[in-house]
Amino acid sequence: MTLVRDLLAQKGNAIWTISCQASIKDALRLMAEKKIGALVVTDVGYVVGVFSERDYARKAISFHDFSVEMTVDQLMTRRVLYCIPEESVDECMAIMTQRNIRHLPVMDEGILVGMISIGDVVKTTLSEMDNRIKDLEDYLWVHMI
Amino acid sequence: MANVQDILNSKGQNVYAVSLDDSIESALKLMAEKGIGAVVVMNGKTISGIFSERDFARKTLTIDGFNLNLPVQNVMSTPVFFVHPDQTMEDCMALMTDKRIRHIPVMEEGKLTGVISIRDVIKWLIADRSFEIQELERFVSSKPHVGLV
Repeated sequence: MTLVRDLLAQKGNAIWTISCQASIKDALRLMAEKKIGALVVTDVGYVVGVFSERDYARKAISFHDFSVEMTVDQLMTRRVLYCIPEESVDECMAIMTQRNIRHLPVMDEGILVGMISIGDVVKTTLSEMDNRIKDLEDYLWVHMI
Repeated sequence: MANVQDILNSKGQNVYAVSLDDSIESALKLMAEKGIGAVVVMNGKTISGIFSERDFARKTLTIDGFNLNLPVQNVMSTPVFFVHPDQTMEDCMALMTDKRIRHIPVMEEGKLTGVISIRDVIKWLIADRSFEIQELERFVSSKPHVGLV
């Protein structure tokens, strides 16, 4: 069973954050640069939200005079769902599906230690799936002869 | 292993599409309305591209004079990677991971019959994978002379 902790060990624990007062333009630029789909939003060191591609796509059209100079806190999601390193990747899959989200910040005793995405989950499950089923099949094969 | 058609049978074969000259704003509105992350872009009956939330986020900064009234043609992605209905969900996972995409149109004899999203993949994984491994384990442990450590 793969845990979040294992996933972070594989992918790294880089977290990219942005200030709630930064512009949407700066947020998009950082996401493009780091090739990611979401940023944790902070206000003087405290986590205050998450800003994702979905927030941008859904909310840009709700403003009459939308501009990329608007601040992140105007479009971010304030309720931050997170996971802990001891949680299983399977549990995270369930959270992502139920809550319709693609990113989960990882908190360890109140400290932000990483971020996992739906892409990370699929990638790790794909390799795990192949190994596990292949092992079992080899086992069956060996003992059936 | 479930194939793409099985998933389309349970989720429905709705395909949401826009035309090349529809505005970015109208595409985003359709996506919001349907709760989806990408739309297929059509030129008459032919697929021309795909427009996703990622395209919107990335190309906002790279297109000169970007605004929501621009035609979606200016920001869509090409080429469009697709799968056939008889391919497996594992094929979809591999394609999504390799190409870093979250939506794959399904084509049958040149006709667009549905779209598989990364969310469909996760839902299927939750439902199916544990079942498959459980079945194998149950089979193995039912043999008296064979046991799993």
